[in-house]
Amino acid sequence: MIEEKLNELDPAIVSTAENYAVKGYCYLHKLEVARLPEAAALFCEDGFQLEMMTCVDCRESDGIFRLVYQFNIYDIAQRHLLHVDLAPDQAAPSIAAVCPGANWYEREVYDMYGVEFSGHPDLKRILMNDDYVGHPLLKDFVDTAPQVI
Amino acid sequence: MDRMEVVRADDDRDTYYINMGPQHPSTHGVLRLRLHLDGERIIDAEPIIGYGHRAHEKMAENRDYLQFLPNTSRVDYLSGMIYNLAYCQAIEKALEIEVPERAEYIRIIAGELNRISSHLLWLGTFLLDLGGITPFLYCFDDREKILDILDSVTGSRLTYCYGRFGGVTMDVDETFLENTAAFCTYFHKRLVEYDKLVIGNVIFQERTKGVGIFAPEIAARYAVTGPCLRALGQARDVRKDEPYGIYERFDFAVPTCEKGDCFDRSIVRMEEMRQSLAIIEQALRDIPSGPVMAAKVPKRIRPPEGEYHFGVESARGHFGIYIVSDGSDIPFRMKLRTPSFAHISTMPEVLVGTMLADTVAILGSIDIVIPEIDR
Repeated sequence: MIEEKLNELDPAIVSTAENYAVKGYCYLHKLEVARLPEAAALFCEDGFQLEMMTCVDCRESDGIFRLVYQFNIYDIAQRHLLHVDLAPDQAAPSIAAVCPGANWYEREVYDMYGVEFSGHPDLKRILMNDDYVGHPLLKDFVDTAPQVI
Repeated sequence: MDRMEVVRADDDRDTYYINMGPQHPSTHGVLRLRLHLDGERIIDAEPIIGYGHRAHEKMAENRDYLQFLPNTSRVDYLSGMIYNLAYCQAIEKALEIEVPERAEYIRIIAGELNRISSHLLWLGTFLLDLGGITPFLYCFDDREKILDILDSVTGSRLTYCYGRFGGVTMDVDETFLENTAAFCTYFHKRLVEYDKLVIGNVIFQERTKGVGIFAPEIAARYAVTGPCLRALGQARDVRKDEPYGIYERFDFAVPTCEKGDCFDRSIVRMEEMRQSLAIIEQALRDIPSGPVMAAKVPKRIRPPEGEYHFGVESARGHFGIYIVSDGSDIPFRMKLRTPSFAHISTMPEVLVGTMLADTVAILGSIDIVIPEIDR
């Protein structure tokens, strides 16, 4: 099972079983940012797919950005959530090499939150214009677009 | 990949770039593809998205759960009903609200009608992309019938806001049920005609067979879902794998094909329309009477602190809503996992080595909806 393999990889990984009926996922794993590429590789080897990846701006409450990776294996519909906490200026390792689907999700997180991914093949904005200044999904984002009256 | 090496241009050959879009009839919206070409063959493709970005996720963080409800059907305007109901179900699951039986059946009927109308639009525009104008008119005629039926109960024709936390806004009347039943009878015959007109057509087959194959490993790497995955022979359907609502009560098959080319994707969608009809017919047979709204729904929607995921099978694949709640009545974070985003991100791999003219067929066959990619 993947949770045992993660524990073998690093005993410091905290895995909690969640109530699938309410939450929609089976396990939540909290891991150190350095362990992320190895953990992602473990999931991919086991036939998991990266369903979604995103970021949550928790700077106000915890002083961190939380990267959220959602892996699912369709044969048994077992959804795992990975939490990786980043300090505000810290770069995260890209997992696009292990799991190409992450490429665009990481670009989106970079675009919306300004989080950098080291080793990403082509880190640039994806939804906003290339010359756009600012990162819209930050909680302290102020829209400076000229108002049409 | 050996396929890539074969098509790599030699150093002394001229290659060129061509911009397909952002305003191109076959991109179904504002999508730009920057294609690097050697003659007519694509050696590199880069989709450039974001032209239709409306910041739905940012909007979600600035209004309460109920106020976000009308946004959901605008994310993917072709399966707006499915998205709208999915959002309601996500909140109901987090708050553990019981939905009355009749409302569950109505949701099934409305959702499956919406799926058929979405597939009909795909069929029409796909063939339009391939150069056949007639089927487009047939499909829109049939789609119009569905829109009329849904219009009579929801009041809107495209961007429905029919679901509510705990049920649906309006009860359906006998006329709605009769019209839906009549549509099912009519549409069974129409599907036979479509098979003859489109699927059996030699020109269509020549144009789509062996074109735009999603290799199974590409599908796995990019988490491809929906008809694109089923065309590869993998019977994955959220309605079966993680049943939501009352889908487990219905008897329906998950159609699959083998090769995963444009033709197979078409076959899968045609068959899915039949399965949707079967689901609707069973729902019409079994629908009970009773209330359509839960008696006790909290006035203020405040999911307990934590993270929630809810996934449904939209017309295009797995649509997931990920909500982070801080216990207040405004979502702390809401991420919409849309199938088209995953599908279009495979394009740099799928398009390499194909002909320029096939790009149109491939884009049409994966049934992308641009607002859903850009959100």
